[in-house]
Amino acid sequence: MQEWYDAIASAQNVEKLEEIRIAVFGKKGVLAGEFAKMKSIPNEEKGVFAKELNMHKSRLTEAFNARKEILALEALEAGMKAEAIDVTLLSRQSGRGALHPVMQTMDRIVEYFVSMNFSVKTGPMIEDDFHNFEALNLPKYHPARDMQDTFYFKDEMLLRTHTSPVQIRTMMREKPPIRMIAPGAVFRRDYDLTHTPMFHQVEGLLVDEEGKVSFANLKFILEDFLKYMFGDVDVRFRPSFFPFTEPSAEVDISCIFCGGDGCRVCSKTGWIEVLGCGIVDPNVFKAVGYKNVSGYAFGLGVERFAMLIHRIGDLRSLFEGDIRLLEQFK
Amino acid sequence: MIVTRHWLNEWIDLSDITTEQLVKTFNEIGLEVDRVQQYRIPEGIVVGKVIACEKHPDADKLNVCQVDVGDATRQIVCGAHNVAAGQYVPVAVIGAVMPDGMEIKPVKLRGVDSAGMICSSTELGLPKTNDGILVLDESIGVLDAGNLLKKYPLINDDLIEIELTANRGDCLSIRGVARDLCAAFEKSLKPVPDRREEKNQIGIGKLLKLEVDADIKASVRYHAVALKSFDTPLLTTLRLAMIEANCENSVEMWLEYAMHSTGVILRAYPVDFFRSGSDEVGDIQIKEDENGFAAVFGRERASIIGIRQEDGSRLKDMQGTVVIEASYIAPEIISQQMSENKLESGPLYYRTSRGSEPELSIGTDFLLTHIEEKDIGRIYGGKLVYSEEFEEKHIGIDIAYVDSIVGTTIDKSRVANILKNLGFDISKSSEEHFIVSVPRYRHDIVNRQDLIEEIVRIVGIDNIPSKPFVLSEADRLEEDYFTFRKKQLYRQRAAQSGFFESVHFIFNERQQLDALGFASVAKELGLLNPIAGTLDTLRPTLLLGLLNAASSNTRNGQKRVPLFEIGSVFDVQRNESVKMALLFAGALHEDMLENAGKPEEVSFQSFAQLAADVLGDVTFEPYVPAHGLAHPYQSAAVYQKGKKIGEMFTLHPSVQKQMNLGRTVMFEGDFDTLVYAKVEAANYSKFQASFRDLSILIPQNMPYKQVAEVIDNARSGEIVRFYPVDSYTDEALGDAMSLTVRFVLQSQEKTLEEEDITSAMAGVLEALQTLLGVELR
Repeated sequence: MQEWYDAIASAQNVEKLEEIRIAVFGKKGVLAGEFAKMKSIPNEEKGVFAKELNMHKSRLTEAFNARKEILALEALEAGMKAEAIDVTLLSRQSGRGALHPVMQTMDRIVEYFVSMNFSVKTGPMIEDDFHNFEALNLPKYHPARDMQDTFYFKDEMLLRTHTSPVQIRTMMREKPPIRMIAPGAVFRRDYDLTHTPMFHQVEGLLVDEEGKVSFANLKFILEDFLKYMFGDVDVRFRPSFFPFTEPSAEVDISCIFCGGDGCRVCSKTGWIEVLGCGIVDPNVFKAVGYKNVSGYAFGLGVERFAMLIHRIGDLRSLFEGDIRLLEQFK
Repeated sequence: MIVTRHWLNEWIDLSDITTEQLVKTFNEIGLEVDRVQQYRIPEGIVVGKVIACEKHPDADKLNVCQVDVGDATRQIVCGAHNVAAGQYVPVAVIGAVMPDGMEIKPVKLRGVDSAGMICSSTELGLPKTNDGILVLDESIGVLDAGNLLKKYPLINDDLIEIELTANRGDCLSIRGVARDLCAAFEKSLKPVPDRREEKNQIGIGKLLKLEVDADIKASVRYHAVALKSFDTPLLTTLRLAMIEANCENSVEMWLEYAMHSTGVILRAYPVDFFRSGSDEVGDIQIKEDENGFAAVFGRERASIIGIRQEDGSRLKDMQGTVVIEASYIAPEIISQQMSENKLESGPLYYRTSRGSEPELSIGTDFLLTHIEEKDIGRIYGGKLVYSEEFEEKHIGIDIAYVDSIVGTTIDKSRVANILKNLGFDISKSSEEHFIVSVPRYRHDIVNRQDLIEEIVRIVGIDNIPSKPFVLSEADRLEEDYFTFRKKQLYRQRAAQSGFFESVHFIFNERQQLDALGFASVAKELGLLNPIAGTLDTLRPTLLLGLLNAASSNTRNGQKRVPLFEIGSVFDVQRNESVKMALLFAGALHEDMLENAGKPEEVSFQSFAQLAADVLGDVTFEPYVPAHGLAHPYQSAAVYQKGKKIGEMFTLHPSVQKQMNLGRTVMFEGDFDTLVYAKVEAANYSKFQASFRDLSILIPQNMPYKQVAEVIDNARSGEIVRFYPVDSYTDEALGDAMSLTVRFVLQSQEKTLEEEDITSAMAGVLEALQTLLGVELR
């Protein structure tokens, strides 16, 4: 019997083990042969013989099953080993595309103001003189019109130079209170290193009863907004001039490149101009037929924000669809 | 507007204020500082006196000078044409280091020793005043040989350039800027020196008389001076160089200097322009010219007030009797006239259209005082003056209103002081109410909001606290916002499907559009002043912008170019609408192991899948676009839920070749028609689905749509879906094509038995055989 124990223990593969199974447990196998001997054994010895034989049968079965399990595991391991891959060969690039940095920035700006309860308003790109200039306290002969080189059409229509006409259209359509932003493309006839004939603005407007809206309110929202966009920066308001607001201010943030120490980007001043704002000029309210109201307004260039946030050096590269730039925003 | 510290100091005492404070204050009061430049003469530059000057024995262009530098006389070789004995000049002595880093050492020039250098203005780091060396004079202080030049404050000045907003014409002069600073620093403006006329002068009346038509809306003032020849003092020349003034002669320099100092518009004419003989009394006439502008006439038109001086009336001879004119015209009048009647204007129009100084005597007194001091001319007694009537503006303002707009409380006396320092007169009608009269030079102040702006900028915005605004109104989730969200959704999907968002100008080239068969904005509605020939009309399609970008990407070595844009386009009638376009050019995938570095090119089929990933389920109908971009046999109209949303096509091979692109497929659709609606879930079967394939032989030219329609009409309710999974042709099949359609069968009530399936499929097959005559393969 011992030789069969040894044979099971040393079987090297499933096939060999199967041969042994047939030789041991098969109909003509060793065990069957031994049990057949029972007939010729005297009755008084039968009990001992049968007991010993049954013990061998169960121990051989046990040894066989144990060996079978080991061999199955070894076979699985060998199979898997054959499937080994070199993961170092398989590094991947994402096949995703990307949103344009200017549009992403626009999305972030809109998200902020929507969560501050501003509504989003849009309007036509082709505008008339009234909505783009006249109603914004920019009469025909006003020198401040020089500030905005305009694309005109042959029929005296024009491409809007800012999104402010959307504010005028909203005020002429709706009653106060108004709390809105107008995101969109605007156009100026200027094309060089730092100007493109098209760029994007987000302008904001808030109007309520006379005496309710103050410069202090304007400061609050812009300080909060600029910290949301740029992180922990200092915010500075400088008095300035816009025909449609009064008092007016330009808003600077401490330079995000040098932290205010002075560098090339901020022209050594430590400050970067990012916004224009002010209290809405009464002439604007007069033009849209509002009485006894007060309000604030502000406006910003989205490309400038995107360039500062993502440290993009060349404005014109934003309009070239160049994948070398775009794929960085995946 | 350029000012300098010491120039300002002539009008406001800045001795206790640093330049840094000055810059900060400018920014705070709304005069944005663009540039600060400090001029500092280095060590080792001294005043030298040229004692003798002789030609160099061996070099025509060099002079050998003996120069007294205080403690010694040095021999210096100088190449400047304008050096001469008797001059005081800046001398860089041995050991001096020039601003450009050059150190002065003893040298031999063509065999002659030279111990130092006589300097030009630029060599000293100053702006260029003249060709050749700088000749010093006592306008900068007392000159003694050997004095260090860095000790002369007037030439060691700080320049500050301010960016002025269009409303602040009153700050277009040194005096005007100083006036604004006075309010900020609570100081008072230094007066213009009182000019007392000497008695027994010949009166101007012997020379000229003034005639002004009624209704002329302008003011003028005339003086006459018999000029001697003179040199412009160094300080004047230097300051004019700092402000980059372009003057042709010494009289123009004087006028420019006085204008920049005071803001009054000044001109000079030869007296003979107004008379025909020297013994005659000349006649200055002010009347409207043919265009309705107030103009000055002598023998002919001398100038248009506020616009320009005619060439014929300019001074040619710097000696002789000269008429000095100061003028003022209100900016609102002049700019309105100009907008109606564009005239060629001179450099002064910038000043007059923004508001020059209306108090004319400030300018003439300043100028005449200088002429007297320098003794360069004899001034005729008296003056000729015409002043238009000026109606003073009064504005009433409540303190409470100021506080409500600013959002904080500002002390009443503070408000009054600020306005007074800015030159406003104030009378109180009650404790809480001021009546403010506006000085004439502040034409930009017309209402109470303007006054608040003045108060805010002097108080300083930094001193206003920030307060949140509380407003209770309905939240405004409305159409424009939903459109914004819809755009965001489609943009995100496109990016997720591998496309890069691209933004292009809304301008296209009309010629290119015409050539490709795109209808663009009608000519009579076109752009009047396009910025470039290639951007001369509004785009009717997003496709060209994307194609041009794909082409330049390919030139840059990109093998795979997936781009998209959502943006506005314009039709022939110039109506604006929003489109979405997708473009895929070149390789479908990046180079990688799986494709052995040779990825397949994008095809209509593979692009269709990507487009469906972005747009949702789509179907295609045969369609050939009207423009010339499309491959005529690989183009389709794209439908979604039975509605046409756009077109898709492979780029025409000849355009592809012309633009140096790989195979390119594009989609463009109307953004409005894209789906953005809530989904309503349908009932779905809980029982197992079965699949059956049916392979049939159909003629090669039979569109699948025809097969699908027959199946759709014949199918029983168990067939919930069917779709093509294989199609092939080979020689054995001849003109026929094998098409395999897969059927999904499912019931709402039970798991389908084999006989249910067989009978459903038999119905379909029978219809195909009878209606299309097709056979099972």
